[in-house]
Amino acid sequence: MYSILALIFKYIFIIVIYLFIFSIIRLIYLDIKSMDAISFEDRAYLKLINRKDSLPFKIDEHYIIDGDIKLGRQNNNDIVIKDQYVSKEHFQIVEDEKEYYLEDLESVNGTYLNGDKLYDIVKLKDGDIIRIGKIEFLFVNRE
Amino acid sequence: MNKEIKRIIIILTVLCMTFISLIVYISYFQIFKASAIKNNSYNKRLWINEQTILRGSILDRNGNVLAYSEKEGDSYKRNYNYGSLYSHIVGYSYREYGKSGLELYYNNSLLNISDSTPINEIKNIVIPNTTGNNLVLTIDHNIQSRARSLIDGKKGSIVVMNPTTGEIYAMVSYPDFNISNLNENWKEISEDMESPLINRAIQGLYAPGSVFKVITAMAALENSSYETQYNCIGSEKIEGYVFKDYEGKAHGPIDLKGALVKSCNTYFINKSLEIGKDTIGKISERFFFNSRIPFDLPVKSSQFPYKEMTTDVEVAAASIGQGKVLVTPLNMALIASGIANEGEVVKPILVKEIVTKDGKVLKQSDIEILSQGINPLGANTIKDMMVEVVKSGTGVNAKIKNVTVAGKTGTAENSSGKNHAWFIGFAPADNPKVAVSIVLEEDGSTGGKAAAPLARDIMLYTIENIKD
Amino acid sequence: MFKGEIRKQSPKNLLLLFQILALLLLLAYEQMHADKMIFIMAMGLILIIYLSNYLLIKISSGDNYIFLIVTMLITIGIIVIYRIDEKLGIKQLTWISLGIFLFFLVYFMVKRLKKIDDWLYLYLVLAYLLFIITFAFGDRKFGAINWVSFRGFAFQPGEITKIVLIFLLASYYSNTEKWRHIKYSSYYIMGVVYSFIALLFLQKDLGTALVFYIIFASIQFIYEEDRKLILYNIGLFLGSGVLGYVLFDHVKIRFQAWLNPWIYIERQGYQITQSLFAIAEGGFFGKGLGMGHPDFVPVVYTDFIFSAICEEMGIFTGIGIVMLFMIFVYRGFKIAISQENRFYRILAIGISTLFGIQSFIILGGVLKMIPLTGLTLPFISYGGSSILSSFIALSILQICSEDMTSREDTDE
Repeated sequence: MYSILALIFKYIFIIVIYLFIFSIIRLIYLDIKSMDAISFEDRAYLKLINRKDSLPFKIDEHYIIDGDIKLGRQNNNDIVIKDQYVSKEHFQIVEDEKEYYLEDLESVNGTYLNGDKLYDIVKLKDGDIIRIGKIEFLFVNRE
Repeated sequence: MNKEIKRIIIILTVLCMTFISLIVYISYFQIFKASAIKNNSYNKRLWINEQTILRGSILDRNGNVLAYSEKEGDSYKRNYNYGSLYSHIVGYSYREYGKSGLELYYNNSLLNISDSTPINEIKNIVIPNTTGNNLVLTIDHNIQSRARSLIDGKKGSIVVMNPTTGEIYAMVSYPDFNISNLNENWKEISEDMESPLINRAIQGLYAPGSVFKVITAMAALENSSYETQYNCIGSEKIEGYVFKDYEGKAHGPIDLKGALVKSCNTYFINKSLEIGKDTIGKISERFFFNSRIPFDLPVKSSQFPYKEMTTDVEVAAASIGQGKVLVTPLNMALIASGIANEGEVVKPILVKEIVTKDGKVLKQSDIEILSQGINPLGANTIKDMMVEVVKSGTGVNAKIKNVTVAGKTGTAENSSGKNHAWFIGFAPADNPKVAVSIVLEEDGSTGGKAAAPLARDIMLYTIENIKD
Repeated sequence: MFKGEIRKQSPKNLLLLFQILALLLLLAYEQMHADKMIFIMAMGLILIIYLSNYLLIKISSGDNYIFLIVTMLITIGIIVIYRIDEKLGIKQLTWISLGIFLFFLVYFMVKRLKKIDDWLYLYLVLAYLLFIITFAFGDRKFGAINWVSFRGFAFQPGEITKIVLIFLLASYYSNTEKWRHIKYSSYYIMGVVYSFIALLFLQKDLGTALVFYIIFASIQFIYEEDRKLILYNIGLFLGSGVLGYVLFDHVKIRFQAWLNPWIYIERQGYQITQSLFAIAEGGFFGKGLGMGHPDFVPVVYTDFIFSAICEEMGIFTGIGIVMLFMIFVYRGFKIAISQENRFYRILAIGISTLFGIQSFIILGGVLKMIPLTGLTLPFISYGGSSILSSFIALSILQICSEDMTSREDTDE
């Protein structure tokens, strides 16, 4: 009988709608938590260009460059990315008198700066795009 | 954070606040306002049920049908058998004008609609509800008719009840209106200056005048200020304001009993200051002043605002039922019943039973003691005084042969310039079977002359005719 | 890590579950004339929505919550519309499919366009053109002239004008340096917006006028450097509001119907009281789909759709809808804040404010919290122009959620 169905469904509908709302709130919350953990105004940082959830491994939206940093698959790096395209030690960024320099650490798949494969130490400027495998970072330095 | 972002966040916050206010408002609406709105007679959904459910009948205590529904085409038609006799008790149920009286306050019982819980909803689907429940009232049709004929053309109210069980035998308010043909004269009724739509027995607030003295007398018993004698010279001056006895007559040396019997104002005015407003207030509140009497229809609260009385004049006036004191006729009937019932105030009952179509009793109203108004000894003392009132005092017109009647008259001054005539009482005094409260609004005469004879008639009629 | 991936799917799956349950219930409800066509169409829409949500993640690097929220709102809306009027439900189904198509179309087209922040004069002309169309060909419907019929096809230019207004404001405030050489340029913009509002007033479209004003006031509040102007704006608005109340009867009537609808219950207060009856009857959980009488409420499938939802699905669903709009607006502003390009940032603010304030005005109106002005509830109400324009706006918001600075860099 329809009325019994309608009666049961009205409760189910409300439950589903609220589950939907809460699952969205939860996702947004997780998103913000990973973003707002650090404030990075007026500092140099790497910004992930890819959509975070399109990558099947743990990665942050932002990485602050605080002094020299090293990126690689191994756990002793400053930025650890467990992607098969990332070498154990992939690249490093060195700071020198408020300038930042990018250097590939003889990685297997190479590091690309604005589309060109990197062979040498290069000075980074605001807006540069660093690519390793599928991952793309935007270098931001608003000094 | 820069200015731009800050301002964006301000706008965002404002927008979020508007949404939150929506959520708060909608919840508030649902919790506090929805039920009243739902019952507005313009809500067409209310009448959808009426088309599919046979509304229950309303019967008096002896099974006389006062209101019933019958099929007429696709829907049901409501019929009222006795024209205006039950206009205030039964009320009306019209699509155009909404509902009133028991038709309104017992609507869900009459339609057999239960609270909307999931279980009830399922039950309703499995067994569709097609017939409502009947109401059996405590009203006796004969007594009601008698009371109505007594007050015909007089404006006011009569309440007749059983003092020990709280059953209301008759409750009349006049002027009334014909509920069986509202369509023809609705405009006239609703615009009538005498407001026939108001049920004066429970919604009318009157100055009680001397009938209130029974309360003051109980207060006097309570704090033993009654023991001293008083010499009445026909007037009493309080703070420069002169209170007079009826026609300025001096009663001479007088005690509490004499004062009540002769309705001596100056005695109570003098004593009231000795008794104190708090004691009178406390006693009056035990008889449901300043609070709502639980009843099947909404009753206005009688007022004895003793906490707001700041001058002796106000207290003195209140002690003889003038000034700021206001009562409903039902409340006065309850006071008379309380005295008759050894101080126990019973809950007034109008709907005796709710019965399903096939005779199963769903709900029965039981006798319920609401409060101990005064101790039994005090109640009997007051009763004796009230017997004397009828025997030799202001209430002689209520005297019945072979039956001892207890009563108190009242003649209340009010802003209209014409006095209200009051009588409260019960009979037989040694084994009370009936209590009455009568008010004749702006009658101009005294309670003893105008109200007491009606009380006599209705009490005698009730004693002779009532079947338990 | 995989667990996280699965969880990300959950709102999408919940939506799917909700849609399928609703479809089943509606089929049971209309069992007498359950049509294979209807079933196929509904399944088609469900598939389109599911695919769109899936595709969007692949195509757009931007936000993927707003579309999800919108599809939930749309689902609730269409269920109730279909339940009230089967034919309208099917029409709405078509509108939504068309809307989603338009969403992707606009998304790809506008994204390709460059320098759209420079076309201020174009937006200006477009806006006035739309007003002229309304006045020249407009019909009066529900007391307001805002419908244009073209070959039996009714359409509300005002819905598009809202978006044009946002583009106009974004284009002006993102290039303030460029306009600085014109003295009092901000005053001119304010004049233009007020001319829009005045025109809407003449069309008796008070709701839209209010929406225009609030969008303008918000953007002005954030970007206007001449802070006096904001005060002038507020003052002018209050002044013209009072003037409007005194001069125009239709303003007065609405106000009175709001203050005490019960004494005007037979006439001005009729709509709002019927709406309140419906909401009150619903209670917390509603009467159940098909068990109430939303048809008692006038224009229930457009302006008063919320009352119908509350009656049959309960105010818990009603509160759910308010929360969905709130999350949506929050996301919109979040998009604005993360957007580096000022033009797109203002667009995002404008569009989020549009959805936020429009839904608030109509929800508050049907609840008698604020005076009622006729507006559609975005994404829920029935109506082609409303659905299509809302999807266009949504599509632009989607573009705004992407990183436009990096795109420019790579394009160069």
